[in-house]
Amino acid sequence: MEELIQNLKQQIIDALNLEEITPADIDDDAPLFGEGLGLDSIDALEIILILEKEYGIRIAKPSDAKPILKSMRTLAEYVEKNRK
Amino acid sequence: MAPQVPIVYLGATAMLTALGRGTAANFEAVVSGASGLAAVADTALSGSPLMASRVDDALLIDAPQLTRFERLAATVVIDVLRRSGVGRSRVGLIVSTTKGNIASLGGSGMPEAGSPVFIAEAAQRVADFCGIETKPISLSNACISGVSAVIIASRLIRAGIFESMIVVGADELTRFVVTGFDGFKSLSHSRCRPYDAARDGLNLGEGSAALLLTSDAALGEGIVVEGGAITDDANHISGPSRTGQPLADAIGLAMSQSGLWPGDVSFVNAHGTATAYNDEMESKAIGLAGLAGVPVNSLKPYFGHTLGASGAIEIALCAEQLRHGLLLGTPGYEACGVPEPLMVSAAGRRAALSRCVKTASGFGGCNAAVVLAAESVARPVSLPPSRPLHTARTVEIAHGEVLVDGSRVFGADGCFADFIRAAFRHLDRPNMKFFKMDNLCKLGYVGAEFLLDGVGLRPGRTAIVLANRSASLDSDCRHRDVIAQSDSASPAVFVYTLPNVVMGEICIRHKITGENSFFIVHEYDENRILQYARTMFAQGFHDKAIVGFCELLGEDYRLRISLLETK
Repeated sequence: MEELIQNLKQQIIDALNLEEITPADIDDDAPLFGEGLGLDSIDALEIILILEKEYGIRIAKPSDAKPILKSMRTLAEYVEKNRK
Repeated sequence: MAPQVPIVYLGATAMLTALGRGTAANFEAVVSGASGLAAVADTALSGSPLMASRVDDALLIDAPQLTRFERLAATVVIDVLRRSGVGRSRVGLIVSTTKGNIASLGGSGMPEAGSPVFIAEAAQRVADFCGIETKPISLSNACISGVSAVIIASRLIRAGIFESMIVVGADELTRFVVTGFDGFKSLSHSRCRPYDAARDGLNLGEGSAALLLTSDAALGEGIVVEGGAITDDANHISGPSRTGQPLADAIGLAMSQSGLWPGDVSFVNAHGTATAYNDEMESKAIGLAGLAGVPVNSLKPYFGHTLGASGAIEIALCAEQLRHGLLLGTPGYEACGVPEPLMVSAAGRRAALSRCVKTASGFGGCNAAVVLAAESVARPVSLPPSRPLHTARTVEIAHGEVLVDGSRVFGADGCFADFIRAAFRHLDRPNMKFFKMDNLCKLGYVGAEFLLDGVGLRPGRTAIVLANRSASLDSDCRHRDVIAQSDSASPAVFVYTLPNVVMGEICIRHKITGENSFFIVHEYDENRILQYARTMFAQGFHDKAIVGFCELLGEDYRLRISLLETK
């Protein structure tokens, strides 16, 4: 799980051009949206794209991703359970 | 006593859509319930089948020297010239498009001079083909382009700069756009259902429409353009406002120009794309504008979203509804699915119609509203006494240097990415969002930081009017490269394939909610953009504006923006 979280962090940093952020700066349990990293709806779509491309997980409706994208930990747990 | 402001008549109109060529033919088709939307299985557009509307090539004017996009535009301009008989030597032309000749963007590298993808040059070819002798104006303001172009044309006519102008909106259905909207998960696989509880996205389409606007009463055809206004959400570059207030403000300002009350409005033809967020925002805005009790329709179920053409097509059909006393329906609407109740016109019906409000909203957070009225009830637009303008500050960025009022305040070596990052750090105002922006937005953002340093703004009374040569071609090339690899577009790349998004980013940063207008030019002519800025200030909506040039393509970049203020 720890390794998966690290990988996801790096993939998100690369995809979203979070230039001044390192994986260590992202708290595993902090909210990804609004506060915390301050991501927005376009970022959510990019993360959905990462799930599709890197882990073979398709999410048809972006709104379904809301509970999954709460924190790095919820995201990693979802990926762990659903990866192909 | 206020000076007499010329009346702007809507004269001849023409259109070319999946439902045919000619405004009358299109109106007849939609009245009979026809739709141009159909399942399109074309692997050149999309890996999976698509619900979309396409124009039959057989209806395009024969012009081997023009691209297909240019023929879409030229066909309707020629039709309007023929129908109206307006003189070609003095009539102005505004070309409104989001992506112009994007289908001609080459397979690799940045486009070079002479490539068809430069919008102002495409507009010039259309003007030349049609025998129009004035220099065309090009506007690329996302999905509000068509409505914006009508507002801008009516202001230029009221200011006496043109007696007559043809506004042409045109956009082509391309893989470029289809993959981008698919990446945003905003496409519906069935016919779109604006405002309905079961709506699940928009349909794309293509087409064109041309509208003659004129102060020559002899060329009028019974419809008058009253007020118009443009605002920005200052909220998000792709998602609409959560409150609807900025669109409500655009509607309110437009109506105020001829002293209208909600009871004066017979119907609202809204944008109604049928995405969850757009329709939700519009319902709030229409409610805030006091128009919840007025019938609302959306024409997207007939044509899909034709982007830069949609405003022009829909305004032409608003005029037909007013003329014929026939309110069009919104096919597919059954149950209200928006938070504020709207009187959605589901089925077409006869009604006494004298005035309508047409709205549009788009990426970059922009909103536009314009009022059309039957000549018999039309009221003059009143403009406040004009106030002199002065330039408070000018910022220039080029060749690794930032100049403020001609003095060098920052310099750095290296490529654009290194230079602009260094300039941003020099400002010492951290903002994580900066790094997500494309290079055009970074340039405009940093320029605006220097320009507005220490300046107090009134958000709703500040506007941004920019121009450039290459539109968003720098990011267009990046999107092209992404979709060359796979069918999945990157939303974070695609969102920047509209030049006006740079204004959206500046608006978000500085909470600016006034007008946003983005022109595409072949060569930057400061006097021409200042001429428009003066007509914009003449409306009395603004007391400050960021006006200038913001150009970037690869390593070629140049910014020159000024802060204009009323005295």
